[in-house]
Amino acid sequence: MGFFEIRNLRKSFDTVSVINDFSMELVELTLCCLVGPNGAGKTTTIDLITGRQKPTSGTIMFIEEDITGFDEHQIARRGIGRKFQVPAVFRDMTVRQNLEVAFTRTTNPLKNIFRFREPGFAGKLDEILTLTGLGPRLNVEAGILSHGETQWLEIGMVLMQNPRLLLLDEPVAGMTESEIEKTVGILNDLKKTNTLMVVEHDMSFVRRIADVVVVMHMGSLLAKGTIKDIEADRRVREVYLGEEA
Amino acid sequence: MNLFHNVRAQWLAYAVFFIVLALVPLFVGDDVFLLNQLSMYGVYAMLALGISLCWGFGGILNLGQGIPFGLGAYGMAMTMQMQTQDEYNPMPPFMLNNSLTELPWFWVPFGNTTVGIILSIAIPALFCAIFGWTMFRARVSGPFFAIMTLAMLSAIGTLFLGMQPYTNGANGLSPPRSLQLGELTVDPYSPGSYWVVFGLLLIATVIAKLMTLSRSGLVARSIRNDAERVRFLGYNVAAYETMIYTVSGIFAAVAGACMVVLSQYVSPDQFDPTFSLMMVVWAGIGGRMSLLAAMLGAFLIQGGQSYLGDELDATWYLFLGTFFILVVRFLPKGLVGLVESGLGRIRIGSKRNDGDSAASEVSLNPQPGA
Amino acid sequence: MAAGSLFLTQFNWSAFINALVLGLSIASIWLIAALGLTIIYGAAGVINMAHGELIMLGAYSTYTLQTSFGIPFLLCIPLSFLIVGAIGLLLERVLIRYLYKRPLDTMLATFGVSLVLIQGTRIIFGSSPKYVDVPEFLSGSLEIGFVNIATVRILIFVVTVAVCVALWFLFFRSRFGIQVRAVTQEKEMAASFGVNSGRVYMMTFALGAGLAGLAGAILCAMATVLPTMGGNYLVPSFLVVVVGGGALAGSVAAGVGTGELQSIFAYFTNDTFARFVLFILIVVFLRLRPQGLFAPSAKRR
Repeated sequence: MGFFEIRNLRKSFDTVSVINDFSMELVELTLCCLVGPNGAGKTTTIDLITGRQKPTSGTIMFIEEDITGFDEHQIARRGIGRKFQVPAVFRDMTVRQNLEVAFTRTTNPLKNIFRFREPGFAGKLDEILTLTGLGPRLNVEAGILSHGETQWLEIGMVLMQNPRLLLLDEPVAGMTESEIEKTVGILNDLKKTNTLMVVEHDMSFVRRIADVVVVMHMGSLLAKGTIKDIEADRRVREVYLGEEA
Repeated sequence: MNLFHNVRAQWLAYAVFFIVLALVPLFVGDDVFLLNQLSMYGVYAMLALGISLCWGFGGILNLGQGIPFGLGAYGMAMTMQMQTQDEYNPMPPFMLNNSLTELPWFWVPFGNTTVGIILSIAIPALFCAIFGWTMFRARVSGPFFAIMTLAMLSAIGTLFLGMQPYTNGANGLSPPRSLQLGELTVDPYSPGSYWVVFGLLLIATVIAKLMTLSRSGLVARSIRNDAERVRFLGYNVAAYETMIYTVSGIFAAVAGACMVVLSQYVSPDQFDPTFSLMMVVWAGIGGRMSLLAAMLGAFLIQGGQSYLGDELDATWYLFLGTFFILVVRFLPKGLVGLVESGLGRIRIGSKRNDGDSAASEVSLNPQPGA
Repeated sequence: MAAGSLFLTQFNWSAFINALVLGLSIASIWLIAALGLTIIYGAAGVINMAHGELIMLGAYSTYTLQTSFGIPFLLCIPLSFLIVGAIGLLLERVLIRYLYKRPLDTMLATFGVSLVLIQGTRIIFGSSPKYVDVPEFLSGSLEIGFVNIATVRILIFVVTVAVCVALWFLFFRSRFGIQVRAVTQEKEMAASFGVNSGRVYMMTFALGAGLAGLAGAILCAMATVLPTMGGNYLVPSFLVVVVGGGALAGSVAAGVGTGELQSIFAYFTNDTFARFVLFILIVVFLRLRPQGLFAPSAKRR
């Protein structure tokens, strides 16, 4: 039994089938890129893993446990962190407060009712600030950050949770070339300590970070392998790379 | 840094507020009826505090605060009613008039004063916990939750009105004697009960304020920002919402119990939707984001109603309605929003003060508002 | 088995069927009261706390038209629709349109409006109850077999059905309906196709208010006209909207369902207890289906 595994996942809305018998697994401490044309079901897969939607059938296993059908917070507590496609940060709160909420060692409301600080926060905060470079923006409201900074803040928030598995939905969307450069650095650093799954369109970015690439098409697995295998795959070129050219 | 957001300044404002309130009986003198009326303002403030906690800080608009308020009030009234019953006369007179032959089972526990007082808080708290959990688990939120609280309020109101033999229907309960605590008689017209009511208000305020400053306050604020994101961080949003709603309900239940001790009367009017909406009006006009402003809003509106209401007579509600519309339209933060922007123009001069406020921001995550 | 057959023989079928018919009548009353609210909520997302007071205004306009101008009752119904619709239009222009992005604040502001309307009416008309004269044929009752029903209830039922059919045509078969649905679903997109969303909201609000006026006009045939009468209709119509999910078909289904259940529970117990049980059932229903009966699926990020 592996670290993370999806078996025969299906999701349909009424009669429309969005995810069709999709299976895959992740090896610990690798970075897997989930690619595919628009409508292939990438974001839906992430939704199903994180509990935002419930699968019609199939199982999702994470560290020897069947997490299929769990609620979002239960899945998050087991160590799966998610960064959204449209960056979701708390815009009226400062960067520091955003990171503080994300430091979720204690989630029970009754225990938090009169708890004013969380031990270990300061150390973790330093670590995240070094990684993301958000130090100078610590007391700024998240709503006024630049687009790239917002993306990094959300990555920082996910890391604050100490996840074993990170799911990043289009982390470089809308970033400038130099910001992408920096994000590639961050992700390659993270690979040493975390397992990552990145949804991405941009093949040049995938090339720079992926250990494994999984290609989805029409809700099913089309191909899986190293970036070289994938780029050589004729079917993939037809449905996906062909479109890019 | 706006002084308004300085946590130390906020605590100082609370201290001044409660010291002034504590001194009031010394100036009232012998007018015990006035004193009794003023004690009632503690009840209103407690209700406004609950609304501010729930709506301003938790983002949960609650139009059914009358439910825990009324349940707490009925619990206390039943306790006080049972204190006047004895072995020879075990049933309240209205039950006999409704030809009941024995005391209904749910009246029995109220025969013991301690149990009765505990129940008058525990039952509303339990109600809020169950109702809140059911609704929040189903992710009913915003206007829909507000409507459901209103509907629930109206249902419970009709129930209390309709169960004539058990609740004395529209006449309500009017226990003939003041509350007895052991040997002690709680005289509703004494400075003692005034201080007890405001003492309870002080405790509730400190609890509410600490909640807003704690980690749970930070989570609540995040939920107001983006509830969905909070779930993916591993927090059970429904549990947080239920907790805030229940704590606010407990405040209302305490207020209800205090009201009965002070007035020796309860009726289904406590469940009147207009009264529950009025609590929201107090908090809205004063400023829902600030616990203190919400309480002052209650003083302002209820005071206005008692003193101007007589003079303006029919036009009072016309005036209040118009005023409320204007506040909602132009001052979403309530009247205290004016204070906030006013203080925002004053720069805090001394460096020490700046450092302090920054430090408190770092460790205590101040809420917007005092 | 024996108990079952005993139940069947002793069960009073004619009374029960009368209760079902009465349930249909309750359903039509709640539904006609809720239609305006449904439309305003469904199209603009506004929860109008003053809806009950708009119904009250409909009743008072009927009363005024009748006593001061001698207009016959049946003609007062469409006129009340127009009068209250115009009041709704005014309300939307001076207040509601500034609050579309703040749903909770709209609720509160409209509560302020309801205070003003109640008190304003009280100042103009006094607090004493008013009665509307209804034509001779509406004061009797009709007996079909063992079913006995007041003719005024039949009128309300017929009008409700007619209004529902008219609304269906308006929303699904007219240009205005297409515009409303376009604005509801994708405001920016609709705007780029030249639909003026502000105008659509304004017309929808006026239409909803007008329907409240119509409801008030027809309901005063069987209710006392009082400044506070709106409060009686607010909660039932809210529940119809919530259970129905804000869609027209949903409200019809919810109105029939809740009205029938109310009448059936009342048959076995009494009115107040029935109402309580119904509310508890609605809470449980919302737990299972929070989006209501016919709500479109939630938008995704």
